[in-house]
Amino acid sequence: MTELIKTSPVIGAQKKMNPIMGVHQGMEVALSFVDQKIEKKHQAILGVTDVSCFARFAIKGAKAAEWLEKQGIKTPEVVNAWLEGAPGTMVLRLGNTEFLVEDQATGNACTKLHAFDQSNTQDAYQVARADAAFILSGSEVLNLLSELCVLDLRDAALLNNALVMTQIAGISATLVRESLAGEQVYRIWCDSTYGAYMWEILIEIAQELGGGAVGLTCRFQ
Amino acid sequence: MSMRLPKQVGEWIKRDKEIHFTFEGQEYKGYEGDTITSALLAAGVKVLGRSFKYHRPRGVLSLANHDINALVTDGMDTNIRADVVTLSNGMQLKAVNTDGGVIKDKSKYIDSISPLLPVGFYYKAFHKPASLFPFWEKVIRKAAGLGIVNFNYPRINKRKLNAFCDVLVIGAGPSGLSAAISAAENGLEVILVDENQQLGGSLTYDYAGEEAAQKVLSDLVKRVSASSNIKVYAGAYAAGYYQDHMVPVVAADGITKVRAKAVIAATGAFEQPPVFHNNDLPGVMLGSAAQRMMHRYGVKPFKTGLVFTANAHGYRVALDLLKAGVNVSAIVDLRAEGQQDTQAIELANKGVKIHTGYCVYEALPFKGKLGVAGALICPYDEATATADVKQAVKLDCDGIAMSAGWAPAGALLYQSGMGVVYNNDIQQFVPNRLPKGVFAAGRVNGAFALEARVSDGLRAAAEVANLLGKSVKAQSVMPHQGTSPSHPYPFVHHPKGKNFVDFDEDIQIKDFINAAKEGFDNIELMKRFTTVGMGPSQGKHSNMNAIRILAKIRNLPVEKIGSTTARPFFHPTPMGHLGGRSFHAHRLTTIHAWHQAAGAAFVDVGAWSRPAYYQKAGLSKVEIVQQESLAVRKAVGMIDSSTLGKVEVCGPDAAEFLERFYTGVYRDQKVGRSRYVMLLDELGVMVDDGIATRIGQEKFFVTISTANAPAVYREMQRWLQVWKLNATLINVTSAYGVINVAGPKAYQVLSKLVTIDLSEDALPMGRSTEAEISGVPVRIVRAAFVAKEAYEVYMPSGYALNIWKLLLEAGKNEGICPFGTDTQRLLRLELGHPLPGVDTDGLTNPFEMRAEKALEMDKAFFIGKRSLEIIAKKPLNKALVPFVLPADYKGELPQDCNLVIESGAIKGRVTSVAFSPSAGRVIGLAYVAMHQAQLGNIFEIRTDNGKIAKATVVHAPFFNAE
Repeated sequence: MTELIKTSPVIGAQKKMNPIMGVHQGMEVALSFVDQKIEKKHQAILGVTDVSCFARFAIKGAKAAEWLEKQGIKTPEVVNAWLEGAPGTMVLRLGNTEFLVEDQATGNACTKLHAFDQSNTQDAYQVARADAAFILSGSEVLNLLSELCVLDLRDAALLNNALVMTQIAGISATLVRESLAGEQVYRIWCDSTYGAYMWEILIEIAQELGGGAVGLTCRFQ
Repeated sequence: MSMRLPKQVGEWIKRDKEIHFTFEGQEYKGYEGDTITSALLAAGVKVLGRSFKYHRPRGVLSLANHDINALVTDGMDTNIRADVVTLSNGMQLKAVNTDGGVIKDKSKYIDSISPLLPVGFYYKAFHKPASLFPFWEKVIRKAAGLGIVNFNYPRINKRKLNAFCDVLVIGAGPSGLSAAISAAENGLEVILVDENQQLGGSLTYDYAGEEAAQKVLSDLVKRVSASSNIKVYAGAYAAGYYQDHMVPVVAADGITKVRAKAVIAATGAFEQPPVFHNNDLPGVMLGSAAQRMMHRYGVKPFKTGLVFTANAHGYRVALDLLKAGVNVSAIVDLRAEGQQDTQAIELANKGVKIHTGYCVYEALPFKGKLGVAGALICPYDEATATADVKQAVKLDCDGIAMSAGWAPAGALLYQSGMGVVYNNDIQQFVPNRLPKGVFAAGRVNGAFALEARVSDGLRAAAEVANLLGKSVKAQSVMPHQGTSPSHPYPFVHHPKGKNFVDFDEDIQIKDFINAAKEGFDNIELMKRFTTVGMGPSQGKHSNMNAIRILAKIRNLPVEKIGSTTARPFFHPTPMGHLGGRSFHAHRLTTIHAWHQAAGAAFVDVGAWSRPAYYQKAGLSKVEIVQQESLAVRKAVGMIDSSTLGKVEVCGPDAAEFLERFYTGVYRDQKVGRSRYVMLLDELGVMVDDGIATRIGQEKFFVTISTANAPAVYREMQRWLQVWKLNATLINVTSAYGVINVAGPKAYQVLSKLVTIDLSEDALPMGRSTEAEISGVPVRIVRAAFVAKEAYEVYMPSGYALNIWKLLLEAGKNEGICPFGTDTQRLLRLELGHPLPGVDTDGLTNPFEMRAEKALEMDKAFFIGKRSLEIIAKKPLNKALVPFVLPADYKGELPQDCNLVIESGAIKGRVTSVAFSPSAGRVIGLAYVAMHQAQLGNIFEIRTDNGKIAKATVVHAPFFNAE
């Protein structure tokens, strides 16, 4: 039998934009939308990239941190913070006993973590997740976020490595700011079933402000 | 005739940029920076609108959005505030509230019958005879309201943004500017808001013929511009104060919700009109309006005018008028002692006649009340508030400027919880108690002299800085010196009335007197009876005068009357601003795009959008649902059930948690087995049901109905906290997709995709197994919600679309048919399964549903058990029964919620009903009285058309499900 691939939770909304699709980390995603020059321009003004395809591993329970550390993954010491827990891998501490590990474009820790048989581990339970995840970049990104989120997300207010769990466009979401290839970007994760809605709202505002969709290829070429 | 003045220092218009527009069909020109009103005034147009009630001609009153004399429509927008909305090319404007144009308004006759229409007349009239009320209602509705709502108004997105700062300064007059600069210099991040298009407040118009104020303004504005700590929102108003210093700032393009650590309200004061006969004629205006006209827009307010005053400001206005070339024929000062300062002397030296202890008894109109022909002035006794008409003198003039006092613009401060005290030195309410982080500065705080206002801004800024952790030297402010800026009773009674207090609602002095006579002599009652302050201006030019009148009527000091609180928003705000962008968060499964492409008709279930059925050309919804249901009964169907709530309960106490949370027994449940779960609330009311599958010794997988999932999961979390069990809840609703494959050929189709045995022997009802489909791990659960032969297939949601496609392909030869929720409801009804929320309501207990089998009353505890024990001791009043209509029934199909009737009395209601092609008749569920619930009993249902359908109680399922 043929190995199945996953589809991005945003795919239905993206296909209206006639993107060039491809498979990344086992998921069908939009690689590019328009001419690369235009996407680069969008990226600089307000670019929105769907990175739902990044591999993730989540764990919850009193011994979750201990279990991750045993697997060689560093974890943030405080709640609502994130760090690079392994090369190319973000570790987000979502609560006292809950963590989300996400491989970035170059990371591969999640594959290893999924490979561990965890069924007999007490007080550390693997959490099946399906996230819609986005990267927002550009000079107008705070303008966009000021419409979607009631929190102060400016540099002075959102500390480095801080993680906020808040409402974005009326739905629960997690947000961090990070530096990506020297560019300051915001990362958003939300429930995958809201992914299409979130994508449509982000793109609607981005286009109003002179930005738009940015494919994976442009973002990580 | 042009009233445009030569170029003025600091004017807001750009004379090199002409703008062309029409008003009432006539072409006019103005300049960039003009408001609609200023451009019309410059063109010599004085009549800008008609009053709301009596249709009296109206011109400029405040030129500041403190009144609604000049409301216009451009055909798309209505009630455009002409005084403050800037002119743009091509505008085609008309006054609102006219019938035939602003000059020839056919409704102007109402003014002549105004004695028949006192305030509150409509409360008392038109009730008898009752048969005529519909006629009067139409007349009143036609007359009521301003402007015509444009139902074809396009959706224009007005963004609602969030902004943050250390200190929000509201008002950019001398106090606000000083406060903002000082706060910024102390390292605070400042947002400065002003409703005017340019900064400066009164510094942009109140000059008293000098240039000193302009120099102060220039210096302050330069410092604001130079500060990187100050962000300016001009042309935007702070619309209200909300908890935690949240202030929505409304601009033309949207709303910014500012959250500040502290707020300084330097909101100034509204000039209040003195009240005399015909004080509403076009050409009679507030002194500050005349100043705005001259200095901001370079327009002469009138050629020959008099100034009716009761304070020093009137003298400043007179000096400005003189400088602009207006012939000031006299100053009429209500106060016997007049004004004794340099400005009064200067005016006298310039030959202006000053009548102290005089009032304007009436403004004399010219034909049609379209303007001022003169004024009748009389000696005035302040002690008795009476005019000596015997000594009346007529003065010729074409305009009157009025300056008698101020009302603090304290709406936001009131909303914040400010306490006030009445200061007799300035005849004004001033703050005596402000919430932490809220400060007042300038006129709203009782500081009137320019130096005092600047100092008060600095004081407020210092207090804010110290509050926010800076160390700044406190500032002091000199108390008010000189005469009071407001007169305690600037009212001239007149036997003919038409001395207006509230220009929005055409309310005269006598209306207050009559209201008090009828017992409405409390400020709140009087406001509601007279409607003073309830027009679009929200009392900006009338509330303080209303308080003064009521104080006089009741012979009480003003402070005993109190004040009303204007609610947010500060100015009427378009609905589009309040709506902002459409945020309709909706949840979609990963298969949604396929459903769309397949022609699904969607239905909202909670936040989800689900296919109700798949449309087919030429078939009705009912026909499609029946076709889809027959496919399931005869072959195989599949439905995307990914919307089901799904929760993993893990840990040593997982079974104990379920034992307490649900009504059944789970402790002894074996791994790989599924059991029905029923959730009650503490009153024993049924809340939800689902399936719990034990997938490990310490792990259960629980499903929750789609719409209830968020609420049930919250309850799970709450009870876990309460019980302090060693269990962990994981909401995996979105993580797993679910496809329900149902029908006699379901086994056949599914078996093509998995390697394990799915036969009845290997996987009977109530069992689950782990399997793989194309390498993807799936869980298959036998559950009989829509058919006995049904499999729920759970998979990581990212794979759901491709597994859906695989199933479609695998079932092609078996005639697999996707079906939606409407069909699902019919299928489960055919099996006799009640749906929580459909066949239950907020009071239904399990006994009424005949669900005793789901209750393990021998358990020590489950939610609702104690209530059930009490309920069980009482006789039941109703029961849910399956019913059928006769096979040959031809009447109207009963609907959900049709009533069960017995001898004319209501005995119950239908909860679900449909025609079942499998049963060949109409089937349903209904609540009936207990004596009607026996098998074979016939009861009556009243359909929508009032006819009776006879239903028979039967067993479910309604057909041979095997």
